[in-house]
Amino acid sequence: MVNPVELDGVTREFGGVTAVQDLDLTVPEGKFTALLGPSGCGKTTTLRMIAGYLAPTRGRILLDGAEATRLPPERRNLGMVFQSYALFPHLTVAKNVAFGLRMRKAGREETRRRVGEALELVGLSHLAERRPRELSGGQQQRVALARAIVIRPSVLLLDEPLSNLDARLRVQMRQELLNVQRETGVTAVLVTHDQDEALELADLMVILRDGRLEQLGHPRDVFPAPASRFVAEFLGYENFLTVPGHGPVTIRPEYVRVLAAGEEPPGGTLLSGTAARVTYRGTDCLVAVRAGDQTVLGTTAAEIRPGDEVRVLLPGDRLIHLPENAPVPATAGDTR
Amino acid sequence: MRRRPLLTALCALAYLFMLGPILLVVAVAFSGGDTIHFPPEGLSLKWFGKALSQHSFTSALGTSVLVATGATLLALLVGVPLALAVQRGRLPGRRVIEALCLSPIVVPELVVGLALYQQLMVGLRVTALGTLMIGHAVLLIPYAVRVTGASLAMADPMLEEAARGLGAGPVTAFFRVTLPVLAPGILSAGLLSFITSFNNVPLSLLLTGPGTTTLPVEMLHYVEFSFDPVVAAVSTLLLALTVAVAVVTERLIGFNKVFGR
Repeated sequence: MVNPVELDGVTREFGGVTAVQDLDLTVPEGKFTALLGPSGCGKTTTLRMIAGYLAPTRGRILLDGAEATRLPPERRNLGMVFQSYALFPHLTVAKNVAFGLRMRKAGREETRRRVGEALELVGLSHLAERRPRELSGGQQQRVALARAIVIRPSVLLLDEPLSNLDARLRVQMRQELLNVQRETGVTAVLVTHDQDEALELADLMVILRDGRLEQLGHPRDVFPAPASRFVAEFLGYENFLTVPGHGPVTIRPEYVRVLAAGEEPPGGTLLSGTAARVTYRGTDCLVAVRAGDQTVLGTTAAEIRPGDEVRVLLPGDRLIHLPENAPVPATAGDTR
Repeated sequence: MRRRPLLTALCALAYLFMLGPILLVVAVAFSGGDTIHFPPEGLSLKWFGKALSQHSFTSALGTSVLVATGATLLALLVGVPLALAVQRGRLPGRRVIEALCLSPIVVPELVVGLALYQQLMVGLRVTALGTLMIGHAVLLIPYAVRVTGASLAMADPMLEEAARGLGAGPVTAFFRVTLPVLAPGILSAGLLSFITSFNNVPLSLLLTGPGTTTLPVEMLHYVEFSFDPVVAAVSTLLLALTVAVAVVTERLIGFNKVFGR
């Protein structure tokens, strides 16, 4: 089987700065791949190299198995959705969507039919004659999507397509994006800094750090087993602890039980400490516990107040071991 | 809104100061009398008729239109690519180039005129008409660059990339996307340039000669000898044209985008 996109040792330097370093990546056909990482990790640079807007300094790019490293964007047959949508302001919605077909010299009847189908798919048939500026952000986003898929691209490239939408619409559009991808079966590559977006959409999650591949896999494999503290922090893990007998570990607060004095521990590693901060969350309380020189976040159903002496139960089967020698950044967002 | 009596009074005075004389000229143009006199004696359109039937004015008008059109086209031909290069290109020293093409605003027009007179008319024997066009074009380039640049700055730089990604080559992307998106800006630049050239006196004064003179210069000569409302009528026509162009420009792109920083 031929892979839609293959990166082979791709490196991109800007002046003296290396944005992407020696990246090997195979994008699986018909699947949703997410390039994930904080700003400056090289994910957008990677996407722009796949699209042909940037040439790699070193390395090779193959599209559908053919050498494409120096191919100009107009000869790659890729569909790109830009962060700003980049809709043509002087054209109607229908003409925006038809642009790629016109460039391919499709017949009038075929163009009309395919534009109609694409607009139908994104639910905008009724706005075909409007101009982009008359549409809401979500609608513009859909037009951009329709314009990209109508040409039946070998790969759909999405550059932070949802980042300009408000939070509620963003969550809704994720599902629509997924529906469109599943319905058309198009290979999709998404760039995002939002781990929830990647977890929900991706079949393959590619986590980048400082231009290098940090971890790669299906979200169900990556999320429970982050390979480094960087990945763990990026995926929203908050507890980074050194537990006697386990070394450096991380664990989600949901699995950490905070026991009030007198509560009987059911078994596991116990740490003693003082409750520093208690946040009520409806079904339970999130408690920050000061244990020696570490802070542990855990949950409890018991009545606990700041200052209480408590014990923290860490179930052994929920502890995730982080490699001892992995470089540890200060925070996930600050990697430069 | 809070009332500020002093500010209001100052504004009213400023308007009166600026608009008063202009309105007087317009009023005189409709006069039925024989001298420039206010209030006008009776109401008539005869001075407009006289202005339009006087050969020196109509011929000067022809020259003005020709010069303004030629100079505008020249300025756009140079200014639009310059604006594109300065804003979108990765030209080294683009700031310097930008400053250079805005510099004709700063250099006194009489100096430019004298230089052109010496080099082009005397030195290279270029006709008065040709020299006028070139001279005006130089004056207009800052407007062309500035107005086109303003509309370019408002456009999404990703548009060309989007077009390329959809299968358009660089040339097709330019003509199908970049140029249509810039069209209102270019049109405004053209209108503004046209009117600037049309109204210019200092440069034209040095470059016009017998047989080739522009309307404002002809008007200047006319009032040296005659003092009838013909000049007021011509002025009113000029004013109407200028206001019309200004309104169109404002509609298309907005003055704040043109002159604001």
